[in-house]
Amino acid sequence: MKSIVLSSVVTALLVFSGCSSKEPAVDNKTEEVSAPAAQEVQAPVTETVSSESSVVSSTAENSSTENSAEMTMSAIESKLPTIYFAFDKYNITPEMQARIDAAAELGKTDAAKSLNVKLEGNCDEWGSDEYNFALGLRRAEAVKKALVTDGIDASRISMVSYGKSNPVCTEHTKACWAKNRRVNFKLLP
Amino acid sequence: MKVIFSLFIFISLVFANDATIEVIKKVDTVPSIAVEDASISYDDTFRLRFFKTLIADLNVISIFNVDRHHRVSNFNDVNVLVKNKDMAYVLRYKMFEDDNGALNVQVKLINKGEDVFVKNYRVAKQDIFMFVSHAIAYDINEFMGKPSVAWMKRKVIFARIVAPKKSEIVIADYTLAYQHTILKGGFNIFPKWANKAQNAFYYTALNPKTPTLKYVDIKNGKVENIISSDGMMICSDVSNDGKTLLLTMALDGQPDIYSFDVTTRKYKRLTRYSGIDVNGQFMGKDQIVFISSRLGYPNVFTKHLDTDEIEQMVYYGKSNVSCSAHGKYIVYVARESSNAFSQNTFNLHLISTKTDVIRRLTATGVNEFPRFSKDGDAIIFIKNYKGQSAIGVIRLNYNKNYLFPLKYGRVQSMDW
Repeated sequence: MKSIVLSSVVTALLVFSGCSSKEPAVDNKTEEVSAPAAQEVQAPVTETVSSESSVVSSTAENSSTENSAEMTMSAIESKLPTIYFAFDKYNITPEMQARIDAAAELGKTDAAKSLNVKLEGNCDEWGSDEYNFALGLRRAEAVKKALVTDGIDASRISMVSYGKSNPVCTEHTKACWAKNRRVNFKLLP
Repeated sequence: MKVIFSLFIFISLVFANDATIEVIKKVDTVPSIAVEDASISYDDTFRLRFFKTLIADLNVISIFNVDRHHRVSNFNDVNVLVKNKDMAYVLRYKMFEDDNGALNVQVKLINKGEDVFVKNYRVAKQDIFMFVSHAIAYDINEFMGKPSVAWMKRKVIFARIVAPKKSEIVIADYTLAYQHTILKGGFNIFPKWANKAQNAFYYTALNPKTPTLKYVDIKNGKVENIISSDGMMICSDVSNDGKTLLLTMALDGQPDIYSFDVTTRKYKRLTRYSGIDVNGQFMGKDQIVFISSRLGYPNVFTKHLDTDEIEQMVYYGKSNVSCSAHGKYIVYVARESSNAFSQNTFNLHLISTKTDVIRRLTATGVNEFPRFSKDGDAIIFIKNYKGQSAIGVIRLNYNKNYLFPLKYGRVQSMDW
């Protein structure tokens, strides 16, 4: 009997066989977005290998300056608070307002005033992911408004929501869920 | 008496074919079917795997009472096995490997000693055998003249969270038996098929400084940036013709629903509310259904595309956080426990915009992300239980639910 090749199965085959060969290309494309930054850092290091000692020392100074800048940034970031929220809420309590005020004062210091901040909104595990992304964003937005009221320039602040996809605690307890309903400060150069 | 009778007829007509009315079918009322394995190639492990997949598919089409015993026979035997002689139908298949290493499956459906349906299938790779099984079940359902289960042959695309801020985008069959990771590394979520042919998809990349909607052409692997928004960016729905998207963006820090023209790349703001508006889904040609916190808690609303007319659709549930629409039907998720945390259950409910009837579709656990099939015959959803995810399929006309567990990770979102 003559074989009947089912068209849908062939289509599935074609699509999937296409997928497997194209997968690296997709991954490469995604990585390309962050590639330029990495190359800039690598370039001076390559030059020092083939250059004279004087160049080496100057590059070394540069890199140490960069390192100390990074150290300062991470040192400042470690002093920044985490802002917590109640279930399904994005209003800021007085206790959390005090934390934001302190963060704003830190943001105005000489060491920090050239830095930008990314506010990352997060939620607990309840609710749909799409709604939680919006809730996380409203939390970040509430913190942004409070920072602007405290005198931080809005252009220094960007926001992102991770919904429930970035938990710091994965146990199924009330204490754990409370830890996940938060906004984190991430400093950007 | 006449009045009562005509009232009865009227009610019968009103509720005829209404999916919100539960259809209870007794097992005895559907014909029995047994499956006989007449394979001549492959080891026992693979033979049993194929058999189990076929049994699962025959169960999902919901038109047979399926016998689960694995029995071996010869393909050309005239009579069915003695143990199957009382079965209304016997499905006999023979798997064999040809010279090119392809998997061939010969199938015949026997009813009252007659071969009533005969067909052969062939796939180049043995590891995609599940698509043959789905095709067999689809064809038998067609042969029996039942409502189409074309969704069975469609692919599911989903994002799997593997670690905080780390995810993969996976293409699978509807049972998750076949899985192909198409995007690895980074934090990429909310995949959505870009067209009916399922040869391209959208997703949200959260690694760039600003959340960005990207488009991937599966045929050539090209990735294109579509639009970015500070804070959040989600493609919630794609119109049937693939030309318009419903996006949730926050261009001014405010999550609202926008329509986006794929050709002109222009967007139009559809909702303006100081709280949360998300999860826009097309409903017919001129309406969307969406989730909004405008009552102080998340609930389901509709809006006309050309006017500002907004209507509350659901009057039940404390937290209705997700929805999907097909024709006059809306499926939504409702939180049903009084306490915010302990014993939380999120169940799926079905309503019709034409009646007040609510039909509960699930009974336990955390059921999320319901999505109608393109033909409205089935609903696919995510069930999360103790940190493990499963994809569920609800056959509305048969009142049956099926679960297909995910081996690792958590399903973040999906489309089919």
